[in-house]
Amino acid sequence: MISLGLRTLLSKEVRRFLRVPGQTLLSPLVTTTLYFVVFGYSLGARLREIEGIPYAKFIVPGLVTLGVVTNSYLNSASSLFVMKLQGTVVDLLVSPLSYGEILAGFLGAAALRGLLVGSIMWLVAGAFGGFTLAHPLLAVALLALVAVAFAALGLMTAIWASSFEQVNFFPTFFITPLTFLGGVFYSISMLPPALRRLTLLNPVFYMVDGVRFGLLGISDASPWAGPTLVAGLAAIAVGSAYAMLRSGYRLRG
Amino acid sequence: MASVVEIHRVSKTFGTFAALGPVDLEIRAGEIFALLGPNGAGKTTLISIVAGLLRATTGTVRVLGKDVVRDYRDTRRAIGLVPQEINFDPFFSVEEALRFQAGYFGVRLAEERLLELLTALDLLDKRHTGSRALSGGMKRRLLIGKALVHEPKVLFLDEPTAGVDVELRRSLWSYVRTLRDRGTTIVLTTHYLEEAEELADRIGVIDRGRLLVVEEKEALLRRHGAKLLRLVLSGPVAALPPELVRLGARLDEGGGAIVVEATGDATFGAVLAAAAAAGLPPKDVETRRTTLEDVFVQLLAEGHAPAGAGAAARAAAGGPGAGGRP
Ligand SMILES: Nc1ncnc2c1ncn2[C@@H]1O[C@H](COP(=O)(O)OP(=O)(O)OP(=O)(O)O)[C@@H](O)[C@H]1O
Ligand SMILES: [Mg+2]
Repeated sequence: MISLGLRTLLSKEVRRFLRVPGQTLLSPLVTTTLYFVVFGYSLGARLREIEGIPYAKFIVPGLVTLGVVTNSYLNSASSLFVMKLQGTVVDLLVSPLSYGEILAGFLGAAALRGLLVGSIMWLVAGAFGGFTLAHPLLAVALLALVAVAFAALGLMTAIWASSFEQVNFFPTFFITPLTFLGGVFYSISMLPPALRRLTLLNPVFYMVDGVRFGLLGISDASPWAGPTLVAGLAAIAVGSAYAMLRSGYRLRG
Repeated sequence: MASVVEIHRVSKTFGTFAALGPVDLEIRAGEIFALLGPNGAGKTTLISIVAGLLRATTGTVRVLGKDVVRDYRDTRRAIGLVPQEINFDPFFSVEEALRFQAGYFGVRLAEERLLELLTALDLLDKRHTGSRALSGGMKRRLLIGKALVHEPKVLFLDEPTAGVDVELRRSLWSYVRTLRDRGTTIVLTTHYLEEAEELADRIGVIDRGRLLVVEEKEALLRRHGAKLLRLVLSGPVAALPPELVRLGARLDEGGGAIVVEATGDATFGAVLAAAAAAGLPPKDVETRRTTLEDVFVQLLAEGHAPAGAGAAARAAAGGPGAGGRP
């Protein structure tokens, strides 16, 4: 049974991002469309197929992953950070919501936004290049884990951050570069050996690769690498976020 | 009377700065307790520790017998807090803000209760207004509403009437009394000493993290002299003759006035005679009832003084009536 307290927090968090759909749902849609137009069509026409998959299709899993990662992260990070700035975080801190409920409320809503954006992107991509869904359950489960992991990272960042610059630090310097270098636009078999070895150290590569297996049925690494790694990372991120909330760090003086 | 809040040896250190305590304090069931003190005294810090917004560095707090750290879910259900800083979420309306806050406490806000709150806070016509579009005083009233949605047993009001207009302040006062009459225990901080004088059953004065006094309001006012006599001099004097000091008089307004508090008129007669004898005939004489503000200023002056230098410190701090708001 989900408590009324948690349901309230979840619904408040969801309504928050639904109130500004232009920013939270539409803007990723525009970005994706641009990616498909630029990479999928203009470039894709000249690029050969990768592993028998047309290029416009090959880039879909990576872009969807990027959308899920960025939006889950941004939702929990900006929501809690803005609450800190506005002082409305007090409303939660004085309430009898347990640490687990606060965590679940933020992560649930953030993951939902991430998955919504991911689904919209997938639909748009499908409209351009046709729909393929090789292992739907695996794809959804993996993306849900990715969403939760990055939502937890966003929450921790919001607890720690004292400026918007710090909130944007992770997406700018880690998430976006790691995703772009994580095989969104190419198969690592196309890379020179040195770069390939480097890519194998990038956790986001396994996420993209796993999602690609789920959506298209092809992968560079073992199809089990992605789910295993993501499950581990999600567990660590959620556990750390819980410990951080519980410790009162920066939130309760 | 049973204690609703028991604060035991509570202190708070920010980094190396000792902001509070150690403080011992008990809040009794059904009372209105006013916590007074100058800016930075530690009022908000103390309240925040009880409400769970801050963790105490040392000491324990119990609310209705439960520990605020270990049994936080129970104690927070019993507490309502109106924070000093106005906060609002521009995404949501007055009604939504109240409903969300009730939900966090596991309470479904009945329409009846919602209307009662909106009426008491004079926000009925703002029910569907976005929080951003409220005036400052309305935002504060919304904060009060949010603190009341779950019908707390203990209500903490951290400067509840700052920025609230005179008429509404009075209506809030009467609402606070209604809540008290229904059994809610109330702790409030305020810089309007008139407000504390009007509402409080007991007063605590805190300064630089130390509780100077905790006493029934009536006893406090009585103990510090029910009346105040003020002699306005024709010119400032540097020091008072010892005879006047002995009678408890002190200088005010930079030496331009002599002030003395007393319970009886006998002292006043003696002071008038002594002033005349010392060649300090008053230009004007005023008497009035001592207010809480007088007592407050005096307590703070004593609190700042090294032991035994009470009177001198009082004079230095301006004495009663000299300082506006604390
Ligand atoms: N988060 C914090 N970090 C560092 N110092 C703090 C913090 N919060 C409060 N302080 C310091 O602790 C002291 C007590 O502050 P507090 O807010 O409790 O005062 P107050 O009595 O409520 O004052 P006011 O009447 O101005 O509201 C002040 O010196 C303040 O600067
Ligand atoms: Mg304060």
